[in-house]
Amino acid sequence: MEVHEDKHGAVTVLRPDGPLVEDDVSMFCGKLTAVRQNTMGRLVLDLSETPFVDSKGLEALLDATEAMEDCGQSLRLCGVNETVREVLELTEISSFFEHYEDVNSAVRSFL
Amino acid sequence: MDRENEAVKPGRSKRGLLQQGESAIALIGVGLAAILLCAMGGAAWYAVHTQKEALREAQIQRAKAAGQLLASNAEIMLARGELSSLRKLVSDTARMHGLVCDLALPGDAILVSSEAGRTTVREMPAKWPEMAAVDKTALVDEASLNEDKLTLTYALQIPGQGMAKLQIDHQIEQPVGLVWEAQTGLGGIVAAALLALLLVYRHSRARLRAMGAIREALLAIEKGESTASALTVNESFGAEAEAWNQILAKTESMRKEMLQERAKESLGDRRKGGSSDLDNACDALPSGLLIVDTKMRPKYANGAAAALLQTERTKLMGSDLFQFIGNPEVSEMLASWTNEGSKRRVTLEASRGGDKETGILRWTIRPMRKDDSGAAMVTIEDITQQKIAEESRHQFVAHATHELRTPLTNIRLYIETALDEGEKDEALRAKCLNVINSESRRLDRLVNDMLSTAEIEAGSLQVHADDVRLKDVFTELATDYEMQAKEKNISLTFDLPPKLPVIQADNGMIVLALHNLVGNALKYTENGGTVTVVVHANENDITVDVMDTGFGIDEEDQVRVFDRFYRAQDKRLKGITGSGLGLALAREVVRMHGGDITVKSELNEGSTFTMTLPNEADAA
Repeated sequence: MEVHEDKHGAVTVLRPDGPLVEDDVSMFCGKLTAVRQNTMGRLVLDLSETPFVDSKGLEALLDATEAMEDCGQSLRLCGVNETVREVLELTEISSFFEHYEDVNSAVRSFL
Repeated sequence: MDRENEAVKPGRSKRGLLQQGESAIALIGVGLAAILLCAMGGAAWYAVHTQKEALREAQIQRAKAAGQLLASNAEIMLARGELSSLRKLVSDTARMHGLVCDLALPGDAILVSSEAGRTTVREMPAKWPEMAAVDKTALVDEASLNEDKLTLTYALQIPGQGMAKLQIDHQIEQPVGLVWEAQTGLGGIVAAALLALLLVYRHSRARLRAMGAIREALLAIEKGESTASALTVNESFGAEAEAWNQILAKTESMRKEMLQERAKESLGDRRKGGSSDLDNACDALPSGLLIVDTKMRPKYANGAAAALLQTERTKLMGSDLFQFIGNPEVSEMLASWTNEGSKRRVTLEASRGGDKETGILRWTIRPMRKDDSGAAMVTIEDITQQKIAEESRHQFVAHATHELRTPLTNIRLYIETALDEGEKDEALRAKCLNVINSESRRLDRLVNDMLSTAEIEAGSLQVHADDVRLKDVFTELATDYEMQAKEKNISLTFDLPPKLPVIQADNGMIVLALHNLVGNALKYTENGGTVTVVVHANENDITVDVMDTGFGIDEEDQVRVFDRFYRAQDKRLKGITGSGLGLALAREVVRMHGGDITVKSELNEGSTFTMTLPNEADAA
């Protein structure tokens, strides 16, 4: 899995290209943490290229939003497909994230 | 490697080991049964043999006892001359014990016999025949056994008469009926045991298979296999297999529940921890909040403050705040505030680490309403994105004003010229009208760009899909830019395939994107350069490459070239007007169609913008 990094003004958009599963979680977490610290939380996770997320991937997302909640923020997700949305809702963790339709709306939420 | 692979393929190894386990168990079972049967047969044979020997020995002893009794009585009775009594005794004893008895006088004359007709001497002889000396020494008590025939010989010494010989023959009987019964009984027991063993084995075979499969699954778990589907065993193996599968299903369900619980608790726990509602409320603030004493030592810090100062909350508490501030401007402001007599609110916007790229923070310090404590509250807000947006808007207003004014000025001037001199000079009037037409179209595009940007900002821009004839679009594009290319002496070529499809898209948006790409290529290419538009159409998508030999784009700017209101910081662009909206808009509308625009560029060599659109339409 590759994680693309785009800058939208002062906001960094991370776009994982592929399923977020156990094998890639470690690399993904490292990148997410580094970007979160460097941008002081001005971060959007674009899941439009992520077909599904397994339990380890969910834990990684939870860890990230948990760390951000300590600073009064939460992980902003956009482009979440039906499968991932269903997983988030079934595990009842959907409410721990901020959801946006697309990257632009997510980026605008920082204004 | 192969072994490892086999280890993680439980299905495959399961079958092999299961068969091995079964055959081993079957072999052990058959071996044990054979040993048991041999032991039983041996014991039976030994018991029958012992019994047979005991019976034979009993018959011999009984015959010997009878013979001894007969011999002693015969001596007495012959001495007394009671021949008839002796004959009766011999006859009765022989019948009772199954013996053949002969009492012979020396010279083999039989005086008494149990068998009728064998007696040769009827009366007691008056004179007892003399026995030869040799015969006397040979005549002793003896017993001989020839196969099943027992012969007992007794030497009789009859007082006053002489010697006689008592010979008793006894045919030892084989206890055939008894042995046969014992053998039949034992054979029956063994056969019954064998049958029982086979039945038990047959009954337990299915269970053994289930056990083998479960054992394989357990070994796979030990090797790290945790997927429930890989550990499931065939339920046709029996109730044990079904029970195992149920356990697996329950474990999997519990694992999922645990994950869910963990997910819930991981956030829930953090909210607990004995902190007050006020603490929790402060932690929920996205802005940093610090309460500092007179020496700028934090007495309280929320989570956001620690994150914005890039440290941990525990390290922040009670330590010198200045060591966490990366910008000397902020340190100076806080220091002067501390030294000031009158406390008032002070605000400063400054970069985090002296570098704008790292972010811009707004620091506000205000006194707490406790006169004697001297404490103050410091708030830190991350306003980077707002600042960038503000800056972009300023740039946009400046660019847009310029962009709007240029075509308007041209239109006004050419209208004046046409009005003043156009009446006389028809060619001049036509030229003026052409310029006015071209400038008004430019103005129209600019206004459209701004409107589209506003619509995208508001999220109200929608795709109105209809048939788009790409051939017509490119023909119009070539006509529109022909004049501009000629003016700059740029070679503008369109390399189109012979047949272009009709696609389903928003015509206005596709034209807008292509205009922006071709317009930019012409705008940023110096006189005498070339701009080439190459179109490829295949079954899945349509690719448009707009290649120019222009200024090229710096690597750093390539990342931001699609940002709204952004213009590259190249000095050569100074005289060239632009809103900074074109590429952002173009990419936005193409993405709304499921396509994308990418850029490859090298400074001073030129750029290639590639637009990809899905070919979802009916072929032309």
